[in-house]
Amino acid sequence: MVRYLIRRTALLLASLALAGVALFVLLRLLPGDPVNALLSVGATDAQIAAARRELGTDAPLATQFLAWLGDVATFDLGSSLISRLPVGPEIAARLPVTVPLTLAGFVLAVLIAVPVGFLAAYRADRWDGPLLNGVAQLGLAVPAFWVGLLLVSVFALNLRVLPAGGFPPAGWSDPAASVEALTLPVITIALVMSASLIRYVRAATLDVLGSDFLRTARALGSSLPAAMWRHGLRNAAAPVIAVLAIELATTFLGAVVIESVFALPGLGSMLIRAISQRDYPVIQGVMLVSTFAVLAVGFLGDLAQRVADPRLLRGHR
Amino acid sequence: MKRAWIAVAAASALLLTACGDGGESTPTDGASAIINVGSVYEPQNLDNTAGGGQGVTEALNGNVYEGLFRLTDAGTVEPLLATAHTVSEDGLTYTFTLAQGVTFHSGKALTSADVKASIERVTAETSKSARRSNLSVISAIATPDDRTVTVTLSKPSISFVYHLSYVWIVNTAAGDLSTTADGTGPYKLGEWKRGATLSLTRNDAYWGASKAKNAGAVYHYYTDATALNNALLTNAIDVVTSEQSPDALAQFESNPLYTINEGTSTTKLLLAFNDRVAPFDKPQVRKAVSAAIDNAKLLTSIWGEYGTLIGSMVPPGDPWYEDLTSVNAYDVEAAKKLLAEGGVGGGFTFTLDTPNYDPHPTAATFIKSELAKIGVTVEINTITSDEWYTKVYQQRDFQATMQEHVNDRDVVWYGNPDFYWGYSNATVTDLVAQAEAAKTEADQAALLKQANKIIAEEAASDWLYLYPQIVVASSSLSGYPLNGRNSQFFVYDIVKS
Amino acid sequence: MRRLHLIAGLLLVTVIGGAVLMSYLWLPFAPDDTSGGRLTPPGGDHWLGTDKLGRDLFSQLLVGGRIALGTALGAVTVGGLLGVLFGLLAGFASRWLDDAVAVALDILIAFPTLLLAMLIVAGFGASLGAAVLAIGLAMAAIVARLTRILVKQVLSKDFVTAARISGISWPRIVLTHVLPNIWPVVLVNLALQAGLAVLAEASLSYLGLGTPPPNASWGRMLFEAQATVLTAPVAAIAPGVALVALVIGINLTADGLRDLADPTRRRSR
Repeated sequence: MVRYLIRRTALLLASLALAGVALFVLLRLLPGDPVNALLSVGATDAQIAAARRELGTDAPLATQFLAWLGDVATFDLGSSLISRLPVGPEIAARLPVTVPLTLAGFVLAVLIAVPVGFLAAYRADRWDGPLLNGVAQLGLAVPAFWVGLLLVSVFALNLRVLPAGGFPPAGWSDPAASVEALTLPVITIALVMSASLIRYVRAATLDVLGSDFLRTARALGSSLPAAMWRHGLRNAAAPVIAVLAIELATTFLGAVVIESVFALPGLGSMLIRAISQRDYPVIQGVMLVSTFAVLAVGFLGDLAQRVADPRLLRGHR
Repeated sequence: MKRAWIAVAAASALLLTACGDGGESTPTDGASAIINVGSVYEPQNLDNTAGGGQGVTEALNGNVYEGLFRLTDAGTVEPLLATAHTVSEDGLTYTFTLAQGVTFHSGKALTSADVKASIERVTAETSKSARRSNLSVISAIATPDDRTVTVTLSKPSISFVYHLSYVWIVNTAAGDLSTTADGTGPYKLGEWKRGATLSLTRNDAYWGASKAKNAGAVYHYYTDATALNNALLTNAIDVVTSEQSPDALAQFESNPLYTINEGTSTTKLLLAFNDRVAPFDKPQVRKAVSAAIDNAKLLTSIWGEYGTLIGSMVPPGDPWYEDLTSVNAYDVEAAKKLLAEGGVGGGFTFTLDTPNYDPHPTAATFIKSELAKIGVTVEINTITSDEWYTKVYQQRDFQATMQEHVNDRDVVWYGNPDFYWGYSNATVTDLVAQAEAAKTEADQAALLKQANKIIAEEAASDWLYLYPQIVVASSSLSGYPLNGRNSQFFVYDIVKS
Repeated sequence: MRRLHLIAGLLLVTVIGGAVLMSYLWLPFAPDDTSGGRLTPPGGDHWLGTDKLGRDLFSQLLVGGRIALGTALGAVTVGGLLGVLFGLLAGFASRWLDDAVAVALDILIAFPTLLLAMLIVAGFGASLGAAVLAIGLAMAAIVARLTRILVKQVLSKDFVTAARISGISWPRIVLTHVLPNIWPVVLVNLALQAGLAVLAEASLSYLGLGTPPPNASWGRMLFEAQATVLTAPVAAIAPGVALVALVIGINLTADGLRDLADPTRRRSR
C-alpha cells in the first residue's frame, strides 16, 4: 500500500509538471497577442510595440519560460496581463463558486443515480425498471445547457422562486442568497450527470444480481436485501467508484457551460475570458489548478476503489 | 422512486426559497436606493489608459472619475472640473481654471499638478488609450498656480476641449490605478468582484452642487444577453445599459413594469473594404457592392423595427450629419453596371473576415446571399476579436472585413491614409485637417460635411446601419442616461421610486 | 427486449441519416435563401418557419444534421484510430513506456474536451474541423485507456504466449490475436462516444466554439433560438428534438451492439 501510494504520488506530480510545460508551450505556439485585448481601434503601431514591451511578451520564449518556472516553484502564479491582478487570489475568489457547484452537483447526482439505477436493475422485469432506464436514456441525450435553460424558464421566469442567474455580490457571507443562486445550476448538473451514472449503477447491480455468491447467499437463507447489503454493495461499489471519479473530473466541462448559462463567476467563465484575451498567466493558473484537481480526484478514486475492494490491492502489479 | 426524488428536489427548492426571502435587507427607494445596472461590458481593468476597455468607461466615467469637461448625454461638452477656460487668439494656448474645493476620494485636494499628470498619463508612450493620437497636438503643459493649467498646442485643434472630456483627472499619487481608483466623482469605487459585479458607493463629500441621488450603484456583468434579460425579468437588476438583440424586447414591450427607451447611438456596423487592394481599390467596385446589399432588409433582419440606416460614417446626432442614405442606395441593376465599369463584370470572389460574435456572422451570411445576386462570391472567414486586431488591424492582411465602430466623431479616420482600411484621398485628408484647424464650430461642421460626402460617394466603406441604443429599465426608475455616448453611463441622477 | 434497443436505435439513426443524405439531393429551400421573411411562423412553404434572416428552418435543420453526423463520424475516426494506436502501444510497451503513456493519457483526460476545443479554436479559428479534432482527441484518450487494458488482458492469455514461443512476429500477433479479441468492446465504446460527440459539438457551438455560420449546427441553432424562444418557439424546439433523437438513436444502437458482442451480459435473473 505504501509503495503504491508513493508511486501514485510521483506519477501525479510528474503528470502535473508535464501538463504545465505542455501548456506553456502550446499556449505560446498558438497565434494571438494579449496586447490585442488591451487596445482598441485607434491605437498606433508605436503604442502596440510599447504595450508589448510593457507586458514582456516580446521577450524570448526561453526567458519567459524560466521566469514562469521560477514563479511557480515559489507558488506564485503571476499576475494577469489584462487586469493586472495576481492570479492566485483571483482563482481563490472563484473557487467558492465552482467547488460547491461541482461537488453539490456531483453528490446530488449520486443520490439520484444510486437508488434509481438500483431500482432500474432490480425491477428490470417489471414495467417501472425499463421506464426508469428509458428516462435515464433520455437524460443522456439532452445537452446540459438545454436543461439549464428549461429550469430557468420554469423556476425563475415563471414561478419566480429562484434567481435566473448571477451570484450575490456579498458571496458566502450571504449564505441564503448564495445557496439560492446555486440551486438551479446544481440541479442542472445533477440531472445531466445522474443520467450517465444511472446506467453504470444499473449495469453493476445487474452483474451482482446475477452473480454466484449472491445466489449462494440466498440459497443459504439470507433475504435478498440482506444479501445485497452484505455482499452485493461492496462488489458493485468498486466499478461504480471508478466511473464516479472520471465523472467528477469531467463535471468541470459541464460546469463551464452551466456557469455560462447561469452567469456564475466561476473558474470556467474566468478561463473562457482568459483564453479569448490570451491572458497567459491566468490560463496557465486555472489549467494548473483544474488539472491538479482532476488528477487528484482520479487518485482518490483509485484509492477509494481499493479500500472498497481490498482484493484489488493484493492483485496490484 | 423517481417521484420521490422530484419531491425531495422540490422540497429543498422550497426550503431554500423560504430561507432566501428573509435576506432582502437593502433599502429600496429614494436616496437610500442602490441601483442595479446590468451590462455585458465588464471592465478588463480599472484604468482607461491601461486597456480597461468600454466597460471601464461605462462604470467609472463621470461616476468615479471626472474630466475637466463633461460630454453630456445630449452630446454637448460642458465645464466640469474646469470652471472656466480661455483660448489665445492663435488658438494655440488654452488656460483652464479649476473648480474650487475639489477633493479626491482619498481626501487629497485637487491641484493643477494632478491635471498635468493626468493628461500626461493619456499621452505617455505606454498609454493604451485609443484617443492618444488626438492629444498629440499638445506641446507643453504648465501649472502657473494650484488652480490654473495652461496647455500649449503645436497647431490649432477645435476638438481639443471635446477630447479633454475623456481624460480622467486622477490622483496620480494613488499609484497603480488598474485595480484601485481615486477620482473626484460623485461615487467612490466599492468592490470589484471579477466576473460578477462592480459596486459604487455615494461620495458624501462630493465637491459638486448636487450629490448622487441614490446611495450607490452595482454593475452586474453578464456574458450572455439571455442571462442579462432574465436578470431584468426577475428584478435582479433595474436597468440594462444597452440591449443586444430586439427579440428579447418582446417580453418587455407588453409589460407596463418595464420601459423601453431608444436613444441616439454612435455605434456603426461597417463592411470595411481594404481600399488598398484589388478589386476594392476601385471606387466602382466598392459602390457596386454597397448598392447590391439591401441595408434596410439587413437592419430589419437583425434589429426588427429598431436601428437607423446611415449613408456614411456620421450618425444623425453629429453637427456635421447629412442624410446620405440615397448615395449608393440599394439597386441591383446599378450594382451590376458599376461592377462592369470596375472591370470585374464577370464577378469575383473575396474573403470576408468576420468577427465571431453577433451580429457579424449573421450579417455576413446576409451579405453573402445578397452579393451572389450580382455574381460576387463571398467566402466567410470567421475570426476572433484577437485575430481581427492582429490580422486586419495591424497587418492589414484582408480583403474586406466587418466591424462595429463605437466611437463618437470617428469620421476623421477617413482622413488618415494609414488607417486599417487604407482609404487614401488627399482631398479628404486635407478637409479633415482643415476642419480640426477651423476657427469656429460652424466652419468645422461645413468642412467635415464635405469630407463626409466624398467618402460616401466613393463608398470608402459600406456603412450597413447604425445600431439602436436601447435602454430597458424598470418603470420605477427615472433619470438614467439614454444615449450611451462613447459608452458612458452616468448613474448619479437615477432615482428609484 | 434487448434486440428492441438495437432496432429502435438503428431506426432512429437511419431516419436521421437518410434525411441528411437526402439533403444533398433535395432541400425545400437553398440553405442561404433569405427570401422567407423574418421569423415566419411554421406552415405553408416553410414547415418549421424561418429564422431571423428569412432562411427556411427545416432546410437549416437538415443541413445542420450533416454537421451532427459529420462530427460523430469524424470524431470517432480520429478518436478510434489514435486511441487504438496509443492503446496498443501502451499495452505492448515496457513498464517504463507504459507509465509514460498512462501519464500522458491522464493529462489528456484531465484536459476537459471543452478546454482542448477552446485551445484548438484559439489556434485555428472556429471551424467544424477544430471542433471534431478536439472532440476526437479527448475521445482518443478514453479509447486508448480502454484499449490498453484490453490488450494487457489478451496478452496474458495462453494462446498469445504460445504464439510468441512459436516465433510469430508481433505485427502478426496484433493482427491475428489481439485485434480480433478487442474490437467488439472497442467498437461498442466508440458507438457510445459518438453520441457524446454529438452533444459535445452542440455545447461547443452553444459557446460559439463550434461550426461557424452560415452553416448552422444544431447547437448554434439552439443558441440563436434562445433569444426568440417567446416569439418563435419552434425554432428552439426543432433542433433540440433532432439532437436528442440522434443521440438516443446512437446510444440505443451502442447498447444493442454491446449485447450482441458480449452475450454474457444477456443473462437472465
